[in-house]
Amino acid sequence: MSSEALFTTHDIGKVYGTNTVLQDINIRVWPGEIVGLIGENGAGKSTLLKIIAGVEEPSMGTMQMNGQNFRAGSMLNANESGIGMVFQEQSLINNLTVAQNIFLGREKQFSKGNFIIWSKMNAAARNVLNAMGLEDISEKAKVRDLSFAMRQMVEIAKVFDIVSAASNNHALILLDEPTTVLSDEEMVVLFDKIRQMKQRGNAIIFISHRLQEVLEITDRIYVFKDGKLTAEVETQHADEAILYEKMVGRETNSEYFVSDRQTVPAQEAVLEVKDLSMFGSFKNVSFNLYKGEVLGLCGVEGSGKEDVCAVLCGDQAKTHGAIKVHQRKVDFKSPSDARDVGIISVPKNRREDGIIDILSLAENISVANYQKNAVYRLISNKNQRENAKHWVRSLGIRCSSVNQRIINLSGGNAQKVIFARVLDSECPILVLDHPTRGVDVGAKGDIYALIRSITEKGGSVLLMGDTLDESLGLSSRILVMKDGMICGEFDCPADNKPEQVDIVRLML
Amino acid sequence: MWKRDGDFSLNELFKRNSFILSAVLIIGVFSVINPKFLSLYSLQNMSLEIAPLLPMACGIGFVLYSGSIDLSIGAVASVACVIAGTYVTETGHWIILYMVLFGVVAGLINGSLIAVLKLPSFIVTLCAQSVWRAMAIIISKGSSNTIPIKQRWIVNWATDKFLDFPVILWISLALVILCLVIERKTELGKSIFAIGANEKAARLAGVHTIKIKILTFVLCSTGAAIGGIMYAYKLKSSVPTIGDNLYMMAISSVALGGTLFSGGSGSVLRTLIGVISVMAISSGMNMAGVNPLWKDVVFGCVLIAAVAINSEKGGRSLIIK
Repeated sequence: MSSEALFTTHDIGKVYGTNTVLQDINIRVWPGEIVGLIGENGAGKSTLLKIIAGVEEPSMGTMQMNGQNFRAGSMLNANESGIGMVFQEQSLINNLTVAQNIFLGREKQFSKGNFIIWSKMNAAARNVLNAMGLEDISEKAKVRDLSFAMRQMVEIAKVFDIVSAASNNHALILLDEPTTVLSDEEMVVLFDKIRQMKQRGNAIIFISHRLQEVLEITDRIYVFKDGKLTAEVETQHADEAILYEKMVGRETNSEYFVSDRQTVPAQEAVLEVKDLSMFGSFKNVSFNLYKGEVLGLCGVEGSGKEDVCAVLCGDQAKTHGAIKVHQRKVDFKSPSDARDVGIISVPKNRREDGIIDILSLAENISVANYQKNAVYRLISNKNQRENAKHWVRSLGIRCSSVNQRIINLSGGNAQKVIFARVLDSECPILVLDHPTRGVDVGAKGDIYALIRSITEKGGSVLLMGDTLDESLGLSSRILVMKDGMICGEFDCPADNKPEQVDIVRLML
Repeated sequence: MWKRDGDFSLNELFKRNSFILSAVLIIGVFSVINPKFLSLYSLQNMSLEIAPLLPMACGIGFVLYSGSIDLSIGAVASVACVIAGTYVTETGHWIILYMVLFGVVAGLINGSLIAVLKLPSFIVTLCAQSVWRAMAIIISKGSSNTIPIKQRWIVNWATDKFLDFPVILWISLALVILCLVIERKTELGKSIFAIGANEKAARLAGVHTIKIKILTFVLCSTGAAIGGIMYAYKLKSSVPTIGDNLYMMAISSVALGGTLFSGGSGSVLRTLIGVISVMAISSGMNMAGVNPLWKDVVFGCVLIAAVAINSEKGGRSLIIK
């Protein structure tokens, strides 16, 4: 570690309107160091990274890069100073090729006159990919044909390339939850690459909600809470319990998944699926979902579980098979039809498919059931707001008012709004697609408790957990899918959960 | 209209309500140029122009809130004007009902092509514009026809004064209130905004996106048809080219009201102010003796300027789907 810090911030703060999201942040990053930022959603980690990367302007404070005052102003400037950010939401352009994406905005180096020599660009992209160990991604593939994990790796490769070119291995790379969509092997590759970057003298700031990862990869950890920097720990002196305590101020324990409130499902099947098939994705899927049950659907990416859920909530059409809700055969063509028979989903991609960004909290909650707040079919805005206030209180949503735009909420709070929406629809069957993705530990606990109260009240949940741990902890029963078929079923009573290895063995 | 969400800051407040400022400014400028601009006589004249534009602008407003566009409203108004002007002497006021139904059908065609077949609204309504404009000329045999003086009594009531202002203005204002109720109080109105802001999320939350989108275009074309009927009653003739630049005026009105063209925001009340602004510019230029040809030049520039001022720079910026 050299004696001079690569990057420092002094009293950085950020204020939106009257809402202070970041206050007096002083961090210091040394060359060749990996720094972790942890904290609940809304603690200000992502905001800080965005300020450093030039996406947002700080409201106060200064920053120094390589000992010189630095004010990004734009991402391009930040890149030129050797700072690059990989975003939580993917920023690749889907209808361009991998090579085009990697060199987006930097095509000039491959041009002859006003024309781009594609072969040169493709060759350079090949090198970038190979350097990242991504031999199996074609530089000529369109980004939309890649899996989410692949896209993430391409994005990281792109940013690595941009900043390492600009800074001669004195780059600062910002990774905002790069691992949420990655599989375990891909994560190993990513961590490997991160360490290589570090060895060459680059510094990395790394945000993740998975404490294990943070402990594995970082040298030092900054803990954020409510927009303030509350603790700094050397990773070698830390373990999960310590970090967890510093983050939320309460200790984790075996009651994390609120297992004592796990319900014993009734005998009454609310949803019966028989020989359900979707051409090209899954076939002959049959199962029952009982009243008051959390049924976990496990499987690796591409096992067909996503499409099973998409069919059940009306987002995709089935090609074959029958669905019965409350013993009645149903056939739906759209999510609104599914909602009308009592099935509604919490979608996986909250930003794209969940939040209705520029509308208010109140509108976002009542969108699934407008008539609830209506008098003679005319919707009362007052009732709508009162109803929203009720949900804000009962789910502990942190917001300045129910008229606030949902896009200004943090991930965990936005997700709670989506839960308020599906609960407000009064549908007895909920399809929860990664309900805690990108949600901080505190909000996760709230959501787990919420799922328990849903089943206590007789609701039924089809769950695709964000981790296997989560699926196991929450479910009363687990179905394992592999290659489009159900290949195993496990009972998961609260006092006798199956072993993870047994389930993983069936998945792979 | 400025209560849609609660993230208040002075800057935002100003930006969100700059449409009122622009209306005051426009009216102020023309009052200085011509002191008679705000006289009762002048206002009465202006209200005759405002009345038919209002339902059209309110109608297309819904389409813009939903994030689409409808270029066919002028042509739909032309057809309604031609048929109403030609046949009102035979059918009496039943023609109003028939033409409203025509508007509904025109909207159903646009909406179904766009929502069910998932064609871009720009293309569908551009083609519809071409079709209806030609239909208007075919039906009218290519020329304007006035209603014979002997039968004028049938339509004269429309321009008679009630409380100092023409009857059609009051009808238009009633329609504005109806649109306001649709916007604020009905599932249809709320769903339109949800679709405009994020169609995928709205669909997954159970909004009947196809039905709502079709109904949005029905509202729009119906508003256009009503506008066309009003022109026939007001001008006491059938004019096949009446709608040629009306869609421009209507879209300008919504834009001057400060509605984002990226969808998900806007209000009928904003549009009302926008219509007043547009007509103030139009009448003001007439009264100042500007060659009418320049009007289209001005509106072209005004539309661009209004959209530029109101669009959210950065993030989700202007998108016309």
